[in-house]
Amino acid sequence: MNRLKIRWIIFAGLALVIIISYIIRIDLDTKPSPLVQKSYDYIESLPESTVVMFCFDHEASSLPEIKPIALAMLRHAIRKNLKIIGLSTFAEGTAIGYMLMTKTAQEYGREYGRDYVFLGFRPQHISVFLAMGESISHAFPLDYLGNRVDTIPMMRAVDNYDDIDMVISIADGDRTTQWVEYAGARYHQKIMGGITSAMITSYDPYLASGQLYSVVGGLVGAAEYEILLGTRAAGNRGILAQTSAHIYVIAMIIIGNIVYFRMRKGRG
Amino acid sequence: MGVLIAGILTLAIYSFLYRDNPFYRAAESWLIGLSIGYILVINWQKAVVGLLLVPLFQDGHLWLIIPLVLGLLMFSRFTGKSSWLSRIPIAFMIGTGAGVAIPAMLYARTLKQMSATVMPLWDEGGFNFEALVVMIGLIATLAYFYFSREHKGPMGKLAKLGTYFLMIFFGATFGYTVMSRMSTFIGRIDFLLTDFLHILS
Repeated sequence: MNRLKIRWIIFAGLALVIIISYIIRIDLDTKPSPLVQKSYDYIESLPESTVVMFCFDHEASSLPEIKPIALAMLRHAIRKNLKIIGLSTFAEGTAIGYMLMTKTAQEYGREYGRDYVFLGFRPQHISVFLAMGESISHAFPLDYLGNRVDTIPMMRAVDNYDDIDMVISIADGDRTTQWVEYAGARYHQKIMGGITSAMITSYDPYLASGQLYSVVGGLVGAAEYEILLGTRAAGNRGILAQTSAHIYVIAMIIIGNIVYFRMRKGRG
Repeated sequence: MGVLIAGILTLAIYSFLYRDNPFYRAAESWLIGLSIGYILVINWQKAVVGLLLVPLFQDGHLWLIIPLVLGLLMFSRFTGKSSWLSRIPIAFMIGTGAGVAIPAMLYARTLKQMSATVMPLWDEGGFNFEALVVMIGLIATLAYFYFSREHKGPMGKLAKLGTYFLMIFFGATFGYTVMSRMSTFIGRIDFLLTDFLHILS
């Protein structure tokens, strides 16, 4: 069998496994990991009206993984009646962030300007992180909708990081690290991450050193968070497909190795 | 209409799995073109208009002439004789960038990380196994990257142990990356089955 045909069979098999396991609805017994539990417990412990900041530090390409994490954490924060400030350090994340925040706020009947605000995007993210340590309304004179930030009711009580309890960086790259390095190290701002699976190992040193409070990682993290919230949404819908895909990939690696060693033995 | 276009473009991108083809290339060009167009518009509106032109010409913040001039000097790169002028804003950017980054990096990436690797072997809970693993892993990995001495004898063995720690890290990273790509694929399948084909609700 030629190489192209083998590749085709492997890809087609993977697609088939994912489609079938996505159509079948089985609720897996997902147990929250300590980090997801820590993230959930922290937001749960915050009193009403505490201000938290959600930063959508991602591009559209990572949306399938980012969206379930962001929705789970936003739902929790809005359900707890926390005040939310949203912003983005990526141009592409701006519209996504606004859409997710508005959608979640509408689910719970929250009001723009009183319960949540979306500041939008500003380029040169490091200068934004530093500028917000001095004054948020100076860093963002206008919000995403063009309102003056200092006239928005919710923002009257918020000047800089001193008035924000936690920054939750929903990221697909190393932006969360820069939050730690600039807002965390300089202004002692508490940082939490909602990150893609590919980035989890990059954040381990920051978690171990305590610079990063906690993370919710990947589709699995979203599924675990949903379990804690008591709602089975996108994270849990995809978890069976992901588990099946992993088993399929492992099986292919084992088969590939057996074939390889047999061929090598055959050649002498 | 948006869902229809998104569905067709998703299938066009996945057609690359068969082989490189015009549908894939068209979808890829659309993606790059739209992304760059979107980013340009957002940057123009938020940075140039929002942070420079409106505050300078409408609100009368005259000090903004300085960044405006510095920004315009960047374009001197395109002229032959006066291209040296672009060195002024570049020097300013590098200087401020380094001034901001060096203390932050030194503290967050070096000092804080160094202190985090120093853990007591015995603490309130008894023997700290994690501290032992971190200590051995750190010394072995550093030995691997120490090239001033030949990796022979005990040094060679330590460096080899370092490679095992590195392999564990790379393996974990690769595993997580595969997981991430699967999640992206699952997300697209979700879109195709629910929004595009309406097979699932």
